[in-house]
Amino acid sequence: MAAVNHSATEETKKRHKHEGPQKHIVAYIMSLVLTLIAFAAVIAGEVNTSFIIFILLMMAGLQVFVQMGFWMHMKDKGHGFATISILGGIVIAFTMIIMAEYWVWW
Amino acid sequence: MAHAHAHTVKRYKGLMDWLTTVDHKKIGILYLIAGGLFFLVGGLEAIMIRIQLWKPLNNFVSADTFNELITMHGTTMIFLAAMPMLFALMNAVIPLQIGARDVAFPFLNALGFWTFFFGGVLLNVSWFTGGAPDAGWTSYVPLAGSTYSSEYGVDYYVIGLQIAGIGTLIGGINFLVTIINMRAPGMTFMRMPMFTWAIFITSALILFAFPALTVGLVALMFDRLFDANFFNVANGGNAVLWEHIFWIFGHPEVYILILPAFGIISEVISTFSRKRLFGYSSMVFATVLIGFLGFMVWAHHMFTTGLGPVANALFSIATMLIAVPTGIKIFNWLFTMWGGSIKFTSANLFAVGFIPTFVMGGVTGVMLAAAPADFQYHDSYFVVAHFHYVIVGGLILGIFAGLHYWWPKMFGRMLNETLGKLTFWTFFIGFHMTFLIQHFLGLLGMPRRIYTYLDGLGFNEMNLISTIGAFLMGLGTIFFITNIIVTAVSGKKAAGDAWEDGRTLEWTIPSPAPEYNFAQTPLVRGYDAYWKEKMDGHKEMTPAEPLGSIHMPSPSILPLFMSIGLFIAGFGFMYHNYFVGGGGLALTFLCMLIRSLKDDHGFHIEPDELHDKGVKA
Amino acid sequence: MSAHSHVEGQLPHEPEKATLEGRNKILGFWLFLGAEVVLFGTLFSAFLALRDKVGDGNPTADELFNLSTVAIATFILLTSSLTSVFATQALHAGKKNAMIGWLIVTVLFGLAFLGLEIYEFAEYVHEGHGFTTSAFSSSFYTLVGFHGAHVAFGVLWIGLIIGQVLKKGLTVVTAPKVYVSGLYWHFIDVVWVFIFTVVYLMGKVG
Repeated sequence: MAAVNHSATEETKKRHKHEGPQKHIVAYIMSLVLTLIAFAAVIAGEVNTSFIIFILLMMAGLQVFVQMGFWMHMKDKGHGFATISILGGIVIAFTMIIMAEYWVWW
Repeated sequence: MAHAHAHTVKRYKGLMDWLTTVDHKKIGILYLIAGGLFFLVGGLEAIMIRIQLWKPLNNFVSADTFNELITMHGTTMIFLAAMPMLFALMNAVIPLQIGARDVAFPFLNALGFWTFFFGGVLLNVSWFTGGAPDAGWTSYVPLAGSTYSSEYGVDYYVIGLQIAGIGTLIGGINFLVTIINMRAPGMTFMRMPMFTWAIFITSALILFAFPALTVGLVALMFDRLFDANFFNVANGGNAVLWEHIFWIFGHPEVYILILPAFGIISEVISTFSRKRLFGYSSMVFATVLIGFLGFMVWAHHMFTTGLGPVANALFSIATMLIAVPTGIKIFNWLFTMWGGSIKFTSANLFAVGFIPTFVMGGVTGVMLAAAPADFQYHDSYFVVAHFHYVIVGGLILGIFAGLHYWWPKMFGRMLNETLGKLTFWTFFIGFHMTFLIQHFLGLLGMPRRIYTYLDGLGFNEMNLISTIGAFLMGLGTIFFITNIIVTAVSGKKAAGDAWEDGRTLEWTIPSPAPEYNFAQTPLVRGYDAYWKEKMDGHKEMTPAEPLGSIHMPSPSILPLFMSIGLFIAGFGFMYHNYFVGGGGLALTFLCMLIRSLKDDHGFHIEPDELHDKGVKA
Repeated sequence: MSAHSHVEGQLPHEPEKATLEGRNKILGFWLFLGAEVVLFGTLFSAFLALRDKVGDGNPTADELFNLSTVAIATFILLTSSLTSVFATQALHAGKKNAMIGWLIVTVLFGLAFLGLEIYEFAEYVHEGHGFTTSAFSSSFYTLVGFHGAHVAFGVLWIGLIIGQVLKKGLTVVTAPKVYVSGLYWHFIDVVWVFIFTVVYLMGKVG
C-alpha cells in the first residue's frame, strides 16, 4: 500500500466512461416525491397520528438512502469504512432516541 | 525526482522546533510532558483530598475547596493526564508499529495536542480566578446550573473540556485514517499488533463518544451563559437528560481509557514471555465487542434515578455481559505467559501486576452491575474503590508498563531497572493500601464526595490507612521522576531492538527512531512481523520499496495559534466579553484560512542524509 | 506530494483519489461525518425529549410553523445538493469552468436557504418564541440553529474553494477539497430531511 499514483491519464481517460447526470436527477426526483408524500400526509391530517408519523419516518429513511447512496456514492465500491462510520453513528444516535423517548421523565 | 522542489524549507531548532513540530514522535513527547505535569497536579489534588480525610472532622481544607479538589482531581486525571499519556504512546508507537512514516494528518496531530494543552490550562486557570469547578467531574444539573453554581467554576469546566475535546476528536480521526490507509505492504488487519488494534477500536470509540459530550457541554453552556432551558426545570428542562447525555459519553470514555492499556499489556506480556500472544483472533474479537457493548450500558450509572425495573434489568445484563470478552482477555494473557520464558523487567512487573488488580476492579464492577445491590453501593466509597481499581490499577499500571517498555524507542535510553522496580513496588503496594480498604468503607456506609465525617462511625482507621497508601503512591511517582532524570543524565543507550526480543516493527529501527522512521518501508509477512523474520533467520526486515527520497511534512506554528485563539475565545465567552470572544475565534479562523490557502509542499530527506537522525528529547 | 499536474487538463480519473493525501482526506471526512451523525443525533434526542415543554401561554409548534416556508426551504436545499453533484461530475470530467459554475449556484441556493431561515426565526421571536422562552424553544433553536450554522460554514467553505480553484486550477491537491466539501453539503441536506420531518412535520401532527 505504498503511495503510488494512478497510471497514465490518457489510458484511464479512454477506459473511463463518465457517468452522466441521469442517475442523480432520478435521485433528485425521488427525493422530491418522498418529500411531497411526507408533506401531504401531514396536510391531509385526518388519519391516525401514529400512522402519519410512521409514514413520515419511512419517507425520511428512504430519502436518506437515496441521497447517501447516489449523491454521496455510498453504494459504490470503496466505501466500506464510510458505511461503517455512518452506520455506527446511526446505531448510537438510535440508542439516544430511545433514551429520549422512554427514559426522560419529569 | 531527487530534488523536486526548489524552495527553501525552514527547519527550526530548540524551542521553535517543539512549538512548530508536526512529527508524531515529538508530538508524543509533548503529550507525555504535558500529561505528566497534569498527572502531578491531579496527584497533588489527590494527596490533599486524602489529607483532609485522614481523620474525622478535619479542617485541612474547607468544604468548598474540597468540592473543587474532587472535581478537579477527577477531571484532570481523566481528561488531562490519562488520555494525553495514552495519546503520547499512541503517537510514539502506532506509526512505527504499522511501518508508516507519520500519521495521516500531521498538522491536525499538532493541532490536537495544542488544543488539549490550552483546554487543560484554561481549566486550571480557574484555581487562580476565584474558583475551580466544584460540581464533580460529572457536573450534574441542577447543581451545575446557574442557580446553584453561580460563580465561574463550572464555566471553566464547560469551556475547557470543549476545547480539549476538539483535540481528542481530531486525534481519534487521525489514528483511524492512519491505521486504515497507511499500513505497510503485507500488514493485513489480522496481522496488526494488538496495541494497534486496541488504538483502532479506541479511536472509533472516541469518534462516537465525544460528539455526545460536546452537545451536553454546549447545552449546559447555553443554559449558564445564555439562559437556555435544557436543564432548567422551571421552564420545562430536565435534569435526567443531562445524566443520560453525559453517561452516553462517559461510559465509552472509560473504555477509551482501558482498551489501550489492554493493548499495552498484550505487547509487554508476549515480549517478555518470548511467546506469541495466545488467542490473537479472540483478542481482536473481544476488543471489538467491548467497544460496541461499551455504548450500550451507560444507564448503570443511573440505576437509582428511577428509570424503572425494565431499563434497570436491561442495563444490568448488558453490563455484566462485558465481563465475558474481558475475561477472555485475562485468560489469553495468562495462557501467553504459561510455558513462556518470562523476564521480570519493570515493564513486565507492571503488566503482570495489572492482571490481578484489574480483575479485582472488574469483579466489583459486576457487583455494581446488579441493579438492586447498586441501590446500596451507589454514591458510597464502594464505587470509588471500584473505579480506582480499574482506572489506576488498570490504566495507570498499563501506562507505566508502556512507558517502561517504549521509553528506549522514544528517548534512546533504557530506564534504570532498579528505580523501575522501586517505582513498581511502592506504587503497587501504596495503591492497594489506598483503595482496597475503601471497598470496606463503602460497605460500612461511608458516602463519597463528603469533605469530612463524624467520629465513632468506624471510618477512622480505614481512612488513615488509605491516606498513608496515597503517600506511598506519591513516593512511587517520585521514584519514577527520579528515574527519568537519572536516565536522561546517564542512562544506558538503547539498541534498536532494545529488549532483544522485539516482535513488532518498531524494534526494527534505531532507538530513538529516526526522523523519517523507516529508511525503506518494510514488507510484512505475518503477525509479529519482526519475530517472524527472526525465526526465519533474517536479521532485518525485507524492504518493500527501493531507497529513495523521503517526503516529510513541513513544520507549522499555526496549530499553536489556532489553540491560543480558542483559549482567548473561551475566556471572552465566559466573561460575556464578546469582543474578546469574537477576536479569539477570528484568530482561529484566520489560521484555518492561512492553512487552507497556503500549500504545504513539505521537504525531502535524501538517501545520502539517512544517518539515523533520531529524535532528541 | 504531487502538487503538479504537469499536463494541463489531463487530470487522472477521480483526481480526488489520485494521491494518498486525497484518499486520507476523503476517509477522514467520512469518519468525521460519522461523528456528526452522533452530534446531530444527540441534538435530536434532546429536542425529542423536550419538544412538549412549550410552557404556558407560549406559541406551540403547530401555531408557529408554516409548512409553505418549510417546503420552500426544503426545495432550495435539495436542489442545491443536486447542483453540488453536478459540480463533482464536472470535476471528474475535468471541466473547471462548469464545476465553478455549479458551485456558485450551490452557494447561492445555500444563501437563499439561510436568508429564509433568518426571516423565519425573526418571525418566531416576534410571535413570542425566543431562545430563552422554554425548553422546547431552546432545544429548537439549538438543533435548527446548529444546522443553519453548518449551512453557513458550508457556504463560506465552498466560496473559499471556488476562489482557490480559480487561482490554482483543478489539481490533485484542489480536487479532494472540492469532493469533500460536496460530501459535507450532501450531508447537511440529509440532516435537513430529518429536521423537516421530526421538527416541522411532526410538530404539526403533534
